[in-house]
Amino acid sequence: MPQLEAIPAIDFQTATYKDAYSRINAIVIEGEQEAHDNYLTLAEMLADKKEELVGLAKMEIRHMKGFQACGKNLKVTPDMVFAKEFFSELRGNFQKASAEGKVVTCLLIQSLIIECFAIAAYNIYIPVADDFARKITEGVVKEEYSHLNFGEVWLNAHFEESKAELEAANRQNLPIIWRLLNAVADDARILGMEKDALIEDFMIAYGEALGNIGFNNRDIMRMSAQGLAG
Amino acid sequence: MGSKLKIKTFKFSLLPSSFFLLPSSFFLLPLFDNLMFGLIGHLTSLEHAQSVAKELGYPEYADQGLDFWCSAPPQIVDTITVTSITGQKIEGRYVESCFLPEMLATRRIKAATRKILNAMAHAQKNGINITALGGFSSIIFETFNLQQIKQIRNLKLDFERFTTGNTHTAYILCRQVEQAAPKLGIELSKATVAVCGATGDIGSAVCRWLNVKTNVAELLLIARDKERLQDLQTELGRGKIMGLEEALPQADIVVWVASMPKGVEINPSTLKQPCLLIDGGYPKNLATQVQHPEIYVLNGGIVEHSLDIEWKIMKIVNMDVPGRQLFACFAESMLLEFEKLYTNFSWGRNQITVEKMEQIGEISVKHGFRPLMSF
Repeated sequence: MPQLEAIPAIDFQTATYKDAYSRINAIVIEGEQEAHDNYLTLAEMLADKKEELVGLAKMEIRHMKGFQACGKNLKVTPDMVFAKEFFSELRGNFQKASAEGKVVTCLLIQSLIIECFAIAAYNIYIPVADDFARKITEGVVKEEYSHLNFGEVWLNAHFEESKAELEAANRQNLPIIWRLLNAVADDARILGMEKDALIEDFMIAYGEALGNIGFNNRDIMRMSAQGLAG
Repeated sequence: MGSKLKIKTFKFSLLPSSFFLLPSSFFLLPLFDNLMFGLIGHLTSLEHAQSVAKELGYPEYADQGLDFWCSAPPQIVDTITVTSITGQKIEGRYVESCFLPEMLATRRIKAATRKILNAMAHAQKNGINITALGGFSSIIFETFNLQQIKQIRNLKLDFERFTTGNTHTAYILCRQVEQAAPKLGIELSKATVAVCGATGDIGSAVCRWLNVKTNVAELLLIARDKERLQDLQTELGRGKIMGLEEALPQADIVVWVASMPKGVEINPSTLKQPCLLIDGGYPKNLATQVQHPEIYVLNGGIVEHSLDIEWKIMKIVNMDVPGRQLFACFAESMLLEFEKLYTNFSWGRNQITVEKMEQIGEISVKHGFRPLMSF
């Protein structure tokens, strides 16, 4: 989403910026690593889509390397301990679902929620990024749409039998996203990213995805706001 | 100014309609590739938004404060079918932008501008050919120069698909002046007409029309920006620049088209008798409800269609006859769809000519719309 007012010049070299960046950058790196692992898990669960999913997993590793380069470029050491803890609940839910063979839940977590979160965050970040990171992120966000598309297409083809599980998985996992956003809202603001813009872009991307899968408007409004009240 | 108002009422038409009967599949809105018009709208206040969300059965939205609405995405919440008196039938969508005037009042400008651009992107993504920017949408678009932002995520906005609807609104306001004044015994050739918000897109167009197409005796120009007022006065070659307090007691007719998050209080005892107040603001410019036998308030910029329109949203924005009454700016996108004029008919600021008003006016009459005349 483009910025709509003159952006105050951001000094990417301040200690405050670098401190916030160490956590945001780590989240992005960890998110891409976990996305890679999740797509490999999905490749085992969906044998007929294995090749495609392995391809998506490889892309995620490339993204991860790109974001590692962004941190190096700013001479920031990503706080990976923070990032692993940040994603632990979502990762735990994915692993539990995969152990139970719940493909629909796994796709909702990775291909919808995490991809939409990434797309929203990258779109909001691009206008306020440093030049190096902007180029990397612009390239990444285009590919993330194709990952989202994989989940949409598969779930659309299996919509009726997946609907109840999608609703339950949404109820369980979307509130985690709001908690994660709150946890990094202050750091994101230092990077020039507003929380309400992040939420709005996420809800747009997620709402569109739910619509493409087959949910109607009323379902979309209910599901995409799940757990946001508070 | 605690005067309670009871508006002198005489309804010229009250039409039964079946707008409450919505099919159960109402919210199943498939995407059509065929031709459609769109309306981007918003509600008048946070309180209004909460009550509408409750009424529509969205508890997730109903109990939320302004922060939530600042994060809420645009939604298509209504599907609309309009039949022209020519027999032609068209279909449209209502896009709720989730913008609220409180966002401007609390300086949450980024949120306000995001709402408009995201609603436009949503309309375009849903394949709508021509969409009207209702209420504050077009004002925000102009004020914050949103035309410089074409790329919204992975979508390039095509501004040709949007219209402010202001040409039709200005035309309807002028026709309301011309048609209502004689009914109240006000002769335009002897009348002083005050335009509050005269330098805006709609206000300046109203002034141009009244100047050229009528013989009004006096024009009073009211607005905040003195330089723009002087430019308008020069363009018209007439009109007195005045403050609101000074102008009101002199006016036989007041056209209200200012962009204000909240309405102004007026003291009816300071007004002329009779006095015609045409309130074209959304939200309304008049906070006071006027209760005086010789003071008449007309909802400005509203049209009444000759046939029932199938929709729900106008009930929600408190129209007296929601099956037939609607904002003229919304009707403009319908008119452009009827005529297959896929162009941003009203765009930019202060570019509305009398010729364009005549053109949209002819189309408006052709398809069965007329200015609201019920007080």
